[in-house]
Amino acid sequence: MASTPASPAAEGIRKAVVVGGNRTPFARANGAYAQASNQDMLTAALDGLVARFGLADERIGEVAAGAVLKHSRDFNLTREAVLGSALAPTTPAYDLQQACATGLETVMGLANKIKLGQIESAIAGGVDSASDAPIAVSEGLRAVLLELNRAKTLKQKAAAVAKLRPKDLAPVAPGTAEPRTGLSMGEHQALTTAAWEISRAAQDELALASHRNLAAAYERGFFDDLVTPYRGLTRDGNLRADTSLEKLGALQPVFGRSLGDKATMTAGNSTPLTDGASAVLIGSEDFARSRDLPMLASIVDAEAAAVDFVHGKEGLLMAPAYAVPRLLARHQLTFEDFDFIEIHEAFAGTVLCHLSAWESEEFCRNKLGLDAALGKIDPSKINVAGSSLAAGHPFAATGGRIVATLAKLLHEQAVSEGRRGRGLISVCAAGGMGVVAILEAC
Amino acid sequence: MSTDDVLLEELPSLSRLYVSAASTAARTKLGALERPLVLPPARHTVEDVRVSLEHVTRFQHLLHGTVRDSLPSVFVHSAAFPVGMSILARTDFPLPLLGMVHLGNRVRHLRSIHFSEPLAITAWADNLAGHYAGTQVDLHVTVSSAGKPVWEGVSTYLAKGVFLPGLDKQTRPPREDFVPPRPTATWRLGPEAGREYAGVSGDFNPIHLSSLSARVLGLKRSIAHGMYLASRVLTSIESVAAEKFEWDIRFAAPVFLPATVAVRIEDEEAGGRWGASCFVGWGERSHRKHFQGTARAL
Repeated sequence: MASTPASPAAEGIRKAVVVGGNRTPFARANGAYAQASNQDMLTAALDGLVARFGLADERIGEVAAGAVLKHSRDFNLTREAVLGSALAPTTPAYDLQQACATGLETVMGLANKIKLGQIESAIAGGVDSASDAPIAVSEGLRAVLLELNRAKTLKQKAAAVAKLRPKDLAPVAPGTAEPRTGLSMGEHQALTTAAWEISRAAQDELALASHRNLAAAYERGFFDDLVTPYRGLTRDGNLRADTSLEKLGALQPVFGRSLGDKATMTAGNSTPLTDGASAVLIGSEDFARSRDLPMLASIVDAEAAAVDFVHGKEGLLMAPAYAVPRLLARHQLTFEDFDFIEIHEAFAGTVLCHLSAWESEEFCRNKLGLDAALGKIDPSKINVAGSSLAAGHPFAATGGRIVATLAKLLHEQAVSEGRRGRGLISVCAAGGMGVVAILEAC
Repeated sequence: MSTDDVLLEELPSLSRLYVSAASTAARTKLGALERPLVLPPARHTVEDVRVSLEHVTRFQHLLHGTVRDSLPSVFVHSAAFPVGMSILARTDFPLPLLGMVHLGNRVRHLRSIHFSEPLAITAWADNLAGHYAGTQVDLHVTVSSAGKPVWEGVSTYLAKGVFLPGLDKQTRPPREDFVPPRPTATWRLGPEAGREYAGVSGDFNPIHLSSLSARVLGLKRSIAHGMYLASRVLTSIESVAAEKFEWDIRFAAPVFLPATVAVRIEDEEAGGRWGASCFVGWGERSHRKHFQGTARAL
């Protein structure tokens, strides 16, 4: 295992803080946002943030965002959204793509620029639309069209067209299958869930907690300054405040059905395809103070990891189980040192597999090279304001949702209890990757 | 070269070999031709075989591989296949070519082969042996570059229902219980998978082309090429394998198209590097084993 670099020296590097966040409510695919593009939704999220913090016509240091399902015409998606937003047109922007870790990685990249003094302020974001998904022509048609483009003579053109077959005319929609295995993300997770012997009941309980926590957070007005209504939606369309273990228990398994009666993953304990966008305003302490803006939490550090899932050495979504211990070791922290733990609920099984791995002496010794198990996390610290199972998961927008939610939770606690709490974020991503981060109340 | 060594001027055409095999089969049936009971001691060689880059690229695209300048191991097999087929299609070959079943392969891939290397290909047959369902034979192919072997392969074929006098009939081994392990991949193969592989491999055996052509030869539907399955699984292994490696595959139940094949590949490390990969493929729904094999560093 590669050694982890030593903790960065505190002196010489200034802080990057979360000022606030804004997102659209998340909509189930082919619902409220079916007619809105990624650029539309990202612009809406930016404009809501601009309105909340009085940034109209301001030049922000840099905006970074991304989308997982992206049209090729959207090569400058974030810059185009900035140009369409109320921000000054002199605000530079770049796109980033790291599957479901896109949103969290934009926060980290921009926070590092702020820490190094390259910029004073930044907006990190992400957006995804499963409804307005890019549809491509088939490989056969594409090859013919490209050859046609290269052909110079009529004969060459005719030869190119002659290669066209009827099946080449069928369009190709993006899928959730891993390119190297052909297994969908749900099928991969079903194998991991079965390997860790995670019960159906435990998954349904986690899903229920997600819905209850998200509903309660909406009830107490927690999202009033984090979410801006969009296209008639005021809350996340997937939220089922009245769901129950009976209702969740009645659903049929949708993933891992080849496992027979060991299949446990349903539409209730897996995230649905979702549309939506999120944005987070971050800046230096000087930036926030000079404008009298809030400072919710400091962005401390992050760690990315990847696992070899192609030949089944590790589960597709298990990379955070490796990233978290590396990050904790760098800061000499344990789970006890955290007040809030945000684990992205790609599937209930993903969260429960990570927790089981950290509690497993065997996993921590053999896979992580530790002396003992990392330990158990107090369930009351996990996803206290709900997570992706209830809110939905527009892939690249999830990181921004979590960072803004956690920063506000830490700030609330700091105000009410007068102490600087700490929060951990863990996001798994396609390609066997994971990105995790630490936030600390200001 | 001994008297039995034949130097062919160019790679034989596979379609012509299939047609001549059909005519040999017809003449044998009519009694105009009698098949001998022993293998011809012949070795066929073609020298200076050039691989077309465009051909390799089409092969790599179809098999979901990376477009590289080195040849995939199964591509070398398909490039050399016509020379091997010219042995099986000889009128003095004891077994009928048409309807032969591919039982498995063993290959030693001795070094990375660049697409531009002129190759010399030599093929011969040996090990005519009894099998519980007929008679099997080994077809050897050696591919050399600059006078040194770079790839050595043995394909084992079965002539079903053909029992030659003097060969012991083997008893059928008990059917093993196959319990599918957890898959690491699934392949969705459409009805066109056989035609597509025929297009890049040149193997237009009618059992792979369409339901209709397969039914003529007594199959209920067309089946995937064994070498397609081998190549697809090796695509996923060659990217992590050593430059010098050997692999083997044994085919079990045929893959009737269309099909969903579940696959498990398990790697073994040796001294911190890739040492070997074991693989098995089965019908996702039928749970019948289609193939099994290993790849190992040399």
